[in-house]
Amino acid sequence: MSEFSPEADAFFQTLKTRRVCRSYTDQPVADAQLRRITEAGRWASSGGNRHIHKFLIVRDAETIRRVRSVAPGMLVEPPAMIVILTDKEAAERECIQLDVDQINQGDVGTAAMNMQNMAHALGLGSCPVTSFSHSGVGVMLGLPDHLEAEWIIMIGHPKPTQRGLGTGAPKPLTARDLTWWDRVGHHDPV
Amino acid sequence: MTNNENQTTYVLTEEQALDMLAFLASAAEISLHEPTYYGTFRLIDAASRLMGYLLESNPELAESFMPGWKQDIDTRKVWMMWDRPAYQQFLKEAPAVIAAEIKQRQEAAE
Ligand SMILES: Cc1cc2nc3c(=O)[nH]c(=O)nc-3n(C[C@H](O)[C@H](O)[C@H](O)COP(=O)(O)O)c2cc1C
Repeated sequence: MSEFSPEADAFFQTLKTRRVCRSYTDQPVADAQLRRITEAGRWASSGGNRHIHKFLIVRDAETIRRVRSVAPGMLVEPPAMIVILTDKEAAERECIQLDVDQINQGDVGTAAMNMQNMAHALGLGSCPVTSFSHSGVGVMLGLPDHLEAEWIIMIGHPKPTQRGLGTGAPKPLTARDLTWWDRVGHHDPV
Repeated sequence: MTNNENQTTYVLTEEQALDMLAFLASAAEISLHEPTYYGTFRLIDAASRLMGYLLESNPELAESFMPGWKQDIDTRKVWMMWDRPAYQQFLKEAPAVIAAEIKQRQEAAE
């Protein structure tokens, strides 16, 4: 019996059971689902409430294939993807110096995480991709100069796969391993 | 596949060749800033992608070692993300697969 509310437990389960998905069926992702996922991205916290990002939803298989050719981190071609873009004109309006700003990447991360968790709650699989050629993706997506691709979130209906864990796999990392209480090196006594 | 004297020629379409070139050039670029062991991942992934294209364009390869080796690489390459020792062991073993294949062909030709 948990000491927390059923809603809090259900929310935690959603967070805990999300794993990146790198294998998708051909089934298209419904527009309503993509819309809801971008709404989740919109409600992510944003440093200084600046919101200098745009979300580009891509469903066209040929465009996705072309983007993948310059994105080594896209291990598969998903049925849909959302590209998180920095709008450099918006950054300029907000007097943000992107070359020294450290908040921008945090903002991309918060939006991406909300979107991945929302996708999971909708029964979809997702995977963030940052390993891509920025110049190459800019060309493939026909991005104007003021838009820079930051992260790609692959989205689709998950296809079950064998993870094929090797022998000698490290023991799962726990929150306790990562957390100290009050003092550096002082683990949760429980 | 065409036979040119004793050599077998495998074919890639223009699109597959350009995709492969785009992948290699992009992998080289991102290797500038990614952790060094990602370079190993890009190379073994390139081998898998090349086999994927060869299998698409050369149906006769379906009976060769390639489908099995590609499947094996695709299963084990991702261990890089959660089981480094097993991943390293896999990389150490991988060249033996293609080496055995080359040797077997040489011996058959002799
Ligand atoms: C900033 C960031 C960049 C990532 N880039 C890639 C990528 O380019 N390709 C990929 O397949 N996975 C990528 N991932 C996914 C991670 O490999 C994955 O989150 C990690 O292995 C843990 O798996 P889990 O999310 O299922 O717990 C990225 C994750 C993050 C947070």
